[in-house]
Amino acid sequence: MSAQKKRNFQIEAFKHRVVVDPKYAEKTWTILEHAIREIYNHNASGLSFEELYRNAYNMVLHKFGEKLYSGLVRTMTYHLMEISKSIEAAQGELFLEELNRKWAEHNKALQMIRDILMYMDRTFIPSTHKTPVHELGLNLWRDVVIHSSKTQSRLLDTLLELVLRERNGDVINRGLMRNIIKMLMDLGSYVYQEDFEKHFLEVSADFYRCESQEFIESCDCGNYLKKAERRLNEEMERVSHYLDAKSEAKITSVVEKEMIESHMNRLVHMESSGLVNMLVDDKYEDLGRMYNLFRRVQNGLVIVRDVMTAYIRDTGKHLVTDPERLRDPVDFVQRLLDMKDKYDKIISLAFNNDKTFQNALNSSFEYFINLNARSPEFISLFVDDKLRKGLRGVSEEDVEVVLDKVMMLFRYLQEKDVFEKYYKQHLAKRLLSGKTVSDDAERSLIVKLKTECGYQFTSKLEGMFTDMKTSQDTMHGFYTAVGPQLGDSPTLTVQVLTTGSWPTQPSVTCNLPAEIMWVCEKFKSYYLGTHTGRRLSWQTNMGTADLKTTFGKGQKHELNVSTYQMCVLMLFNNADQLTYKEIEQATDIPATELKRCLQSLACVKGKNVLRKEPMSKDIVEDDTFFFNDKFTSKFFKVKIGTVVAQRESEPENLETRQRVEEDRKPQIEAAIVRIMKSRRVLDHNNIVAEVTKQLQARFLPNPVVIKKRIESLIEREFLERDKTDRKLYRYLA
Amino acid sequence: MPKLSQKKCQWNVQPATKEYSAQLPSHPNPRNLQYPPKQTPVEELYRRYKDPHEEMIMAEGMSRLCTDLDVDPQDIVMLVMSWHMKAATMCEFSKQEFFNGLKALKIDSIEKFRSALPSMRSELKDKDKFKEVYNFTFDWAKEKGQKSLQLDTAIGMWQLLFAEMTPKWPYVDQWCEFLEERHKLAIPKDTWNQLLDFVRNVDPSLSNFDEERAWPCLVDDFVDYLKEKGLVQTT
Repeated sequence: MSAQKKRNFQIEAFKHRVVVDPKYAEKTWTILEHAIREIYNHNASGLSFEELYRNAYNMVLHKFGEKLYSGLVRTMTYHLMEISKSIEAAQGELFLEELNRKWAEHNKALQMIRDILMYMDRTFIPSTHKTPVHELGLNLWRDVVIHSSKTQSRLLDTLLELVLRERNGDVINRGLMRNIIKMLMDLGSYVYQEDFEKHFLEVSADFYRCESQEFIESCDCGNYLKKAERRLNEEMERVSHYLDAKSEAKITSVVEKEMIESHMNRLVHMESSGLVNMLVDDKYEDLGRMYNLFRRVQNGLVIVRDVMTAYIRDTGKHLVTDPERLRDPVDFVQRLLDMKDKYDKIISLAFNNDKTFQNALNSSFEYFINLNARSPEFISLFVDDKLRKGLRGVSEEDVEVVLDKVMMLFRYLQEKDVFEKYYKQHLAKRLLSGKTVSDDAERSLIVKLKTECGYQFTSKLEGMFTDMKTSQDTMHGFYTAVGPQLGDSPTLTVQVLTTGSWPTQPSVTCNLPAEIMWVCEKFKSYYLGTHTGRRLSWQTNMGTADLKTTFGKGQKHELNVSTYQMCVLMLFNNADQLTYKEIEQATDIPATELKRCLQSLACVKGKNVLRKEPMSKDIVEDDTFFFNDKFTSKFFKVKIGTVVAQRESEPENLETRQRVEEDRKPQIEAAIVRIMKSRRVLDHNNIVAEVTKQLQARFLPNPVVIKKRIESLIEREFLERDKTDRKLYRYLA
Repeated sequence: MPKLSQKKCQWNVQPATKEYSAQLPSHPNPRNLQYPPKQTPVEELYRRYKDPHEEMIMAEGMSRLCTDLDVDPQDIVMLVMSWHMKAATMCEFSKQEFFNGLKALKIDSIEKFRSALPSMRSELKDKDKFKEVYNFTFDWAKEKGQKSLQLDTAIGMWQLLFAEMTPKWPYVDQWCEFLEERHKLAIPKDTWNQLLDFVRNVDPSLSNFDEERAWPCLVDDFVDYLKEKGLVQTT
């Protein structure tokens, strides 16, 4: 044996016999074509996937991809045309079902075909930029079946008709609809939109335009809105069941436009059932519905808000200018509060606590409350009423609620300084007559005012409380020190008021009875003994007295009267009858006050401890007064005092106004000086704006008054006008 | 300086003083009252009009001055003259004011004074000078120690001044009526000054009256008055 030569084995590629059989391609294609046919004829079970795949693979490999592809196109087109005809032939109801069925079959077929031709799909097609098999199948379906002249319009019409039927209350086959719509979506969003959605929206618009017109003629606002809401919900449900989700926004927009936007004004202003009626009748549900529907539409809420605002302003204006209402300040304010409560509730329950509505409500209140110049006075009177009796027995939390509501009204006031003036007056009366329901409530309100307006606003008010407390201590000291000396003299209670803190009163004359005078002097010397350098003056128009009185038949009563009344009554200890003139001379009380005093003693039923001749209602100089022996009353204690806060008469009101205006002048000047000191040079309009801004927490300054103050300051050489620009002012240091 | 030559006069006082006197300069000793001092022309003028008790030309002197100048005391040229003199108060000139004024005007005789009057009067045609004279008038016409100008004096002055102004302000009479009817108080300086501005800048139909432009309150009220009475001219 010869030595075997080592040889490198070369493994050569297994070479097929190159078959350059021109008929090869043709043969292979025929196989595939046959397969496709079988697939379409539902005979796929007899086919061998592996063999077909290999055939397709070979074709592509041997560069017959083009033939394969074009063959595919041809074959598929042919089959689809057959399918198309059968669909076209379907009658009535069966049309959609047939379409649906054929579509499902086509999809299955397509999948198989794609699997078979996968190699081509992955190699030949990308490199030649041809449409992939699956997509090709869809496109052909679209072009041949869906866009066939008969089917295209028929399909659309059928779908739209079904929608219409459903809108009219019929039940339709939603599953079928869903499949068909899905088919269109699968064919491409362009197809869905062009072949269906576009028309669907148009037709829906027409439908709702008609329907809304019909409804609006026949329904009231509330019912119309119910129907609109129902339709809207319906459409949304429709979309979720068988349309493309992206259609929801579009169809709801159509409904909103046709049913709501087109009829917004008419709905809101509808007679007897529109927005205003809903507000008046507190129709929370209807209002809520309106809010929810209108907010979907541009400017929808604007209209609602504007109409509401106009109505509130109008009602408010009537409320504050109605002469009937102005007679009872407490009722006036209560109505304002009730109105606010009503709208707060509406905004909270129906308008989703919408801030813009809250703001509109606030600005409306601010507008009309300030239309009545007496609002500040009335609000103070309301508070006075509550603190004197209204809040008796009310729990602490409820008191806070009422006070907070009062603060809310207070915030709306433009002339807060006027309120301050009245509040001070009324508080003084409450404190001095001891008629406040709860000290805590009083203090609580002061704290709230302080938080709102700053320390300056309330410092004087707090001073009043301090005075009351100090006076108690003073009285205690007085009786301890001087008590024994006083013997049987009348029991005196003095409140010492610091002049600056209390409302200014003009000093009045009044001759006190001797026994009163005596004990008053004792107090005065005691007080001045412990407080040197002070001056005391008796405020006879603010005091009260309790008189133990015995009448004709021995009936005893305790009369609670004002100081003036006491002076008058004490005269009758020494006389049974007195003329007006005699009384006037003896007491030295000013005429208007005296007349009021005598009227309350002689002309009021149940309180007539004096008798007047003649029996007329008014007091005249020739009247004569008698002690009324025959006076009777159920009560032992009879209140005749007149120191209760009440709404000012016109002349008093005018006087207070004037005082307020006077008080404002120095405040305006101080503001001007402050501003000019820091800015040095400033033009007229800016000064006015700045001054207004600085003072707006207290009142709204009148630009003319500001100008007058500037002129006054120029004259007093605090400011000068610029030589060249007349509008400019300069601060003179 | 004359020397007292005691030596020459051999310590004899009498001849020494005689010689001393002989050596003195020839013009009169100011202390010698026998010869009245020779005055400047201006001083002469001053002396002619001044008040016998005060170093001022007062009402009587002014009246004589006017007669000599052949001019009405109410003539506006007197105002212009006072302005030149920087007179502090109407109807009187202090010595200083008179002297300085005449010096500035280069006047040293009545004739020159008289002939200066027309040119003084024509100065009012100059807008800026008119304004100066106008503004000057307030302090000049008001009473000493007062801050504001009495209403009737103010009205008189306004009538005088506006009669001279061209173009004429059509509302002079209405302005005066308005003040008498509605205002009745003295006029502050600022308002006085601002009025000229108003007259010059706001046209008679009030079309360019802008409330925003910080006119004095009195002017605002006047505009309202015109509107109320239907007196606004519609040119």
